[in-house]
Amino acid sequence: MDAKTIIESLTGKFPEAISETGIESPIRIRAYVDKEKAKEVCQYLKDSLQFDHLCSVCGVDYPQRNELESVYHIASYDHPVVLMLKVRLPRDAPEIESIVPVYWNANWYERETYELYGIVFKNHPNLKTLVLPEEMLGEWPLRKDYEGFPNKTARNLV
Amino acid sequence: MEEMLESNEMIVHLGPQHPMQPGPFRLNLRLKGETVMDAEVELGYIHKGIEKILENKTYLQGITIVDRICYLVALTNEECFVGCVEKLLGIEPPARSQYIRVILEELSRLQSHLLGMGEFGEFIGFVSMFMYTIKEREDILTLIDMVTGARVTHSYLKFGGVRDDLPAGFKEKALPVLNNLKKVISDYEEMFQSDRIYRERTEGVGILTADVAKSLGVSGPALRATGVPFDIRKNEPYLVYEDLDFKVCTETAGDCAARVRVRLNEMRESIYILEQCLDQIPNGPLFPEGTPYGRRTPVMRVPAGEVFHRVEDPRGEMGMYMISDGTDKPYRVKVRGPYFPTLQALPPLIIGTTVADVAAISGSMDGCTSEADR
Repeated sequence: MDAKTIIESLTGKFPEAISETGIESPIRIRAYVDKEKAKEVCQYLKDSLQFDHLCSVCGVDYPQRNELESVYHIASYDHPVVLMLKVRLPRDAPEIESIVPVYWNANWYERETYELYGIVFKNHPNLKTLVLPEEMLGEWPLRKDYEGFPNKTARNLV
Repeated sequence: MEEMLESNEMIVHLGPQHPMQPGPFRLNLRLKGETVMDAEVELGYIHKGIEKILENKTYLQGITIVDRICYLVALTNEECFVGCVEKLLGIEPPARSQYIRVILEELSRLQSHLLGMGEFGEFIGFVSMFMYTIKEREDILTLIDMVTGARVTHSYLKFGGVRDDLPAGFKEKALPVLNNLKKVISDYEEMFQSDRIYRERTEGVGILTADVAKSLGVSGPALRATGVPFDIRKNEPYLVYEDLDFKVCTETAGDCAARVRVRLNEMRESIYILEQCLDQIPNGPLFPEGTPYGRRTPVMRVPAGEVFHRVEDPRGEMGMYMISDGTDKPYRVKVRGPYFPTLQALPPLIIGTTVADVAAISGSMDGCTSEADR
C-alpha cells in the first residue's frame, strides 16, 4: 500500500475531519484530524489500511498559538509507511478521546502524555501518573512554561 | 490491587531493585498460591527527564545526552538522533562513514545480546552463563573502545559522519574476535540444548503469539520469536544495510527459548554483516565534501521542520520524533524506545503463570528499564 493511496482513502472516508495532508517521502505521510474524530480515524486506519502498529503517542506544546498537539505515529507490520496523525487541542482545556480501545499499547503513552502535558484522555482505563510522583501532577513539566527546570542552559552558545 | 485481595491471596512486590531485572522498577504481583492472578508494573524510579533536557541543549550536546538513555545501546541511540538531524539538514554521510557506523552498531548489538543472554541465564539459575558471555562481551567492548575511545558512552557519531576513522589494523584485530565468537555461539547453543533444566524452564513458558505481540506493540527479537519478520533494517533500510546480505531471524514458538534462539541467530547475522563491512568498506572522506560538517562541527542552526526516524535497536524499534523551529536547539524530541511497549506487555504475559516463571519471562524479554523510563 503506497502513501498516495492511503491519503486518498483517508480523505475520501473522512472529508470533513482530515486536513493538511502531506506526503513527505514514500514512507512518511502526515495529516491533521479533528479531535472528535481521532478515535474513529484510528479505528479505520487499523481495520482498513493495515496500520496495526502504534509507534508512539506524544504531546507538543505551542504556547504562542495557545495550543497543544497530540501526535500519533502509526505504522504497520506489513507496509513501510508511517503516518503522523496530529490533533490540535486548546491549551486551557485539552481533552481528547482515548484510543486505548483501538490500540492496546496507547495505554502508557497516553498516561505519559497526560502527566507531562496535561492532555486528558477521556475514557482511558487508568489515567494516572506513570513516571512522575503523584505530587507533580498539575505541573505539566514538558510544557514550555514549566518553571521547575533551568531553561537557560546553553542558551548563549550560538 | 489491595482492595481486590481475597483471604487466600497475597501481594508480592518484585523490586524496585531485584536481581530479576536490571534497573529499578516495581512489579506488583497478586498471588494465589504460586499462581500469578494479577500484575502491575510501576515505573518512574529512574526518570532522567531526557526529553526535557534535549530541548535545552544544542544539537551537538544532544548526542551525549541520548547516549545515556540506555548504556547498552548508546551507539544505536546516537544513530537515531543523528539520523533525525541529518534528515532535517538534508545531508547524508559518505559511504565510508556509513560503513563505520554499521560496524559499530552491529558490534553494539553483539555486546548487548551477549549481556542480555548472560543475564537471562542468571535469572533462571544458570549463573555460569553470565560468566561466559561477559568474557566475550569484553572482547567486543575492546574493539568498540579502539574506535570510539570509550566502552559505554561514546559520543562518536557526528552530523554527516563519524568523529574519527577506524584505527590502523582494526580489521586484523576484529576478525579473530569474530571467528572466536562464531565458535562460542555454537557452544552456547549446545549448552542450552543439552541442559534439561534450562529447557524445562524456557520451552513453552511465556508464550506470545504473533497476533497478541502485534496488538501489544512489541518489536525486536520478542516479536520475531513469534514468527513476524519485522526488522527496521529490512523494512526501512538506513545507512548501507540495503547493500548488505543478511536475513531476518525468526522463530515460531514465541516462548522464552525462542526469544533466546532469535538472539543467538541474530548474533550470527551480525558477525556476517561485520565481515562483509570489513571487506567492502571503501576509502573516502568521513564527511560530505563541500559542506561545513566535519571535525570542527560548527554550532549550527537546523532548518525548521519535523521528522520521525527509526532504527533497529537490539531490543526492537527505536524511533525519535524531532521538531526543529530553526534555532540551535530542538523544539521537541520524543523518544520512542523499543522496551517501553514490551515492558507494558509484561503483565498480560505473566498473568496465569507461576511466580518462578516470572523471572524467566521477564528476563527473556531482555529489558532495559532505564530506556523505558527515560
